[in-house]
Amino acid sequence: MNQDQVESQLSAMFDGELPVAECELLSRRIDRDENLRSRWSRYALIGAAMRSEPVAAARSGFATRVSAALSAEGRPRGTRQRRLWWNSALAATLVAGVAGLSIAMLRDDASRFGARGVVADAVPAPARAADRVAAAVPVRAPAVSVSGAGHEPWSYVTPVGLGSGNNSALRTQLADYMVEHSVYSTPLMQRNLLSSLVSGEDGLGNASDPPGTATAVTRAEQVDAAAAAGARAR
Amino acid sequence: MVPDASDWSLVQRVQRGERNAYDLLVLKYQHKVVKLVMRYLRDPAEAEDVAQEAFIKAYRALPQFRGDSAFYTWLYRIAINTAKNALAARDRSPVSYELDLQGSDDSPDLVSRLKDPETPEGLALTEEIRNTVNSAIEALPEDLRTAIVLRELEGLSYEEIAATMDCPVGTVRSRIFRAREAIDRRLRVVFDGGLGRTEELV
Repeated sequence: MNQDQVESQLSAMFDGELPVAECELLSRRIDRDENLRSRWSRYALIGAAMRSEPVAAARSGFATRVSAALSAEGRPRGTRQRRLWWNSALAATLVAGVAGLSIAMLRDDASRFGARGVVADAVPAPARAADRVAAAVPVRAPAVSVSGAGHEPWSYVTPVGLGSGNNSALRTQLADYMVEHSVYSTPLMQRNLLSSLVSGEDGLGNASDPPGTATAVTRAEQVDAAAAAGARAR
Repeated sequence: MVPDASDWSLVQRVQRGERNAYDLLVLKYQHKVVKLVMRYLRDPAEAEDVAQEAFIKAYRALPQFRGDSAFYTWLYRIAINTAKNALAARDRSPVSYELDLQGSDDSPDLVSRLKDPETPEGLALTEEIRNTVNSAIEALPEDLRTAIVLRELEGLSYEEIAATMDCPVGTVRSRIFRAREAIDRRLRVVFDGGLGRTEELV
């Protein structure tokens, strides 16, 4: 492309009539061609003079000084960052909401199925303390089976067939999952989660348990474990 | 097409992260903004500092610009506010008197006076620019003159000009370019005679 064609492009770009792809190429050329920059500026003066607009000849290098100052401070803080922040906040709120709803449903199940309800059986102790608890609590059937009670399970996180041998591991995973995700919720929600996990442990000391198994994990230990898990999560 | 469409395309490129597109907006409006600020601050050097600050403020605020008004209208408001703030800040500061210790031979130098449109030399230069542009337009062949007038004064798009002049858009683009080149050739002579070098203005 010869110089005449480039200058013709410049004129069209000045009027906003050059295709975007060509604008990008020409812009890069303008960056390193002082003649094109001067010409661009004079095109502006020609238009201003034709319209009798007041103009003052800026001193040499004015635009270069502005450009240097802008280079020093980087990109402007745009709406993209703000949008990102709002997206994060929205995601955190949604996660906290889902966690809260899950707790409420599990607690509801627990109350409907008695002290040894779903939560009681599903959550021996929160988070990492669950390993300790899992070792102490033998696999046992729930006092009230969801399917056996003639109800449809209310919670999607509580599988039918609680009496299976994998219950403890599953419940432990569920507890871990909820504690881990509680970092996205508010402090109040986290406290509610921990207290609900702990309160759900009342059934562990049920008389039907063989001595020295579930009862080996005292309530104090559960509270400690919950608090520790909560602290890690935070 | 509105007259500001070319600015809007540059603004959108800046908003996409193309910093060099903003350089073109500065080159395009520097003379108008400096002139505008000089209505408040008559010292050319101070006016340029404030104009520079206005351009920087506009750049920072550009992500929020949605094109509800013309870019220059928006820039105009920023420049006016920046000038008023500078004026208020200066009024709060103690008055300083600069002594010309170099003698009167070098100050004010001719180049600075030429670039200051409020001085007789500056006004003469501005007037000469206007006269040169107008006489160059009068000397243009009619098809070129019509095309550049429809573009610069009426703000028509190339497509609208093509419809008005009953010719292809490519011809309009060529006519406007040739008109600008003819005017620019004469303008460069003015700058070569008045400021020594064309780049001085830029």
